[in-house]
Amino acid sequence: MGDSFSGDSVRKKAEFVAEVVNHTLHDLVIRCTKTEEVRNYYHVSVIGYGRNVSTCFSGPLAARDMVPISEVADYPLQVKSSYKRVSDGAGSWVEIPVRYPVWIHPTADGKTPMCEALTRVKDILQRWLSEHPRGFPPTILHLTDGESSDGDPDEIGRQIMSLGTDDGHVLLFNCHISTRRSAKIEYPTEEGSLPDGFARALYAISSPLPTNFLAAAAQLGVHAVDGSRGFVFNGDPSSIVQFYEIGTSLTGMTPYKWMDVDKTEMS
Amino acid sequence: MSSAKQSAMWDLQLRQLLLPKLDHDASECEDAIAFDIQTARFAVTDGATEAFHAQQWARNLAEHWVRNEATLTLEEFRKWVATEGRELHDSWNGLTLSWYSEEKARTGSFAAFVGIELDLKSSTPSWKAIALGDTCLLHCRGAALLKGLPLSRSECFNSTPILVASNAALHESTMQAAVVDSGVCENSDVLLLASDAAASWCLQRFENGDFDPDFLTGKDDEELRRFFDGERQAGRIRNDDIAIVRIEIKRRIN
Repeated sequence: MGDSFSGDSVRKKAEFVAEVVNHTLHDLVIRCTKTEEVRNYYHVSVIGYGRNVSTCFSGPLAARDMVPISEVADYPLQVKSSYKRVSDGAGSWVEIPVRYPVWIHPTADGKTPMCEALTRVKDILQRWLSEHPRGFPPTILHLTDGESSDGDPDEIGRQIMSLGTDDGHVLLFNCHISTRRSAKIEYPTEEGSLPDGFARALYAISSPLPTNFLAAAAQLGVHAVDGSRGFVFNGDPSSIVQFYEIGTSLTGMTPYKWMDVDKTEMS
Repeated sequence: MSSAKQSAMWDLQLRQLLLPKLDHDASECEDAIAFDIQTARFAVTDGATEAFHAQQWARNLAEHWVRNEATLTLEEFRKWVATEGRELHDSWNGLTLSWYSEEKARTGSFAAFVGIELDLKSSTPSWKAIALGDTCLLHCRGAALLKGLPLSRSECFNSTPILVASNAALHESTMQAAVVDSGVCENSDVLLLASDAAASWCLQRFENGDFDPDFLTGKDDEELRRFFDGERQAGRIRNDDIAIVRIEIKRRIN
């Protein structure tokens, strides 16, 4: 994650990913905000892996594996002021000022201990599911820029996908990002189109996209059909943004257009 | 509710129902009903749950609209909403808000709106109405639907209707979706104003051929609450707030 995307000599992958994750958390908080209260419609965990495997939250949320969204809302590390374009609901866009909190900072070092990270995810899920056996199952949005450095993730991936609630199995979606100019493959329906064993391994541990996620993909103009897996290979920056928007589209709300954000200032 | 005075020739038989979502308190209801018998103006609004102070916006729109005398053309309505929106946002000045509430407040509030004004002075009663969003006016004659405004089919409802926005930057363009219409009534015609879940439910009844124009009459609020709770649990109506005003136009017997 320490290198840059092709064509972007300034921003490293880790910086872009941290920005997208912060936007995702912001979006989830706003969805759950009802006037002056944040309702705990979601619990969120952010795990990073490289030199070690650990939660990415710090400050008051440090060492917390799973955090109710109301606490995420109340404990950002800092808040930036910015602008974004939003739909006016009638086919046009207007620019409004917004505040962007920051929960995680970019980090890029070490190898890719994918199996250890997924094992940590499984442990967190098992604890959470024992307390929340009902409702929509958890969604895992797994982002990686390389092959696993600690073995084949197939077994642990399948173990995660076998967990669930009374409403279905845990959803595991995988997004592989690349700095190479290789063709990206988004939400495939079969593995025949995949270029190598690593891509096929991630495909095998990617859940099919449920209907409401397909609707979110359609809203974003992303081609995904019945049977598409939650899987992106050789993704570029727009793939990452769309991956998080689709993966958090459970409420059916129109996804925000994060990539229009500019004029960021620190406050 | 009881009968109401209108004119020398026509009476209005009124019934209203306001129900919160299943297992919610009445204080959480974001639908609003308002009417003024003297001006024969009625309004139903539905605040968008995700919006900032949606209940306040919905109530303001309904209660202030029925007290006005104009606001039945698109231009009048547009100017009136702009004023109401400014006043709403001004009322938030000075609030100390978290970053997320501040952002919600900046975007403003949203509500669906339908308002109707009746003219009962002549031998042919008539109505004018304005609507924006998915709260509806349904003009019924017996078990037949004469007109649905702005929506007339149950499949037209979705989760992202264009609503009345309090934010000046948004309401100018959303106002393009506002609809005005008018109609004439006969003796015993029923005008229903209903928020989205109830309107969709009524339209399904029309489409299925089993609409009962008297479904609101002869029952007290508790009986109606039990009835709609049953409909919710059976999945025949979405678990949303319910606001319905039933206006039956009756020739006065002298």
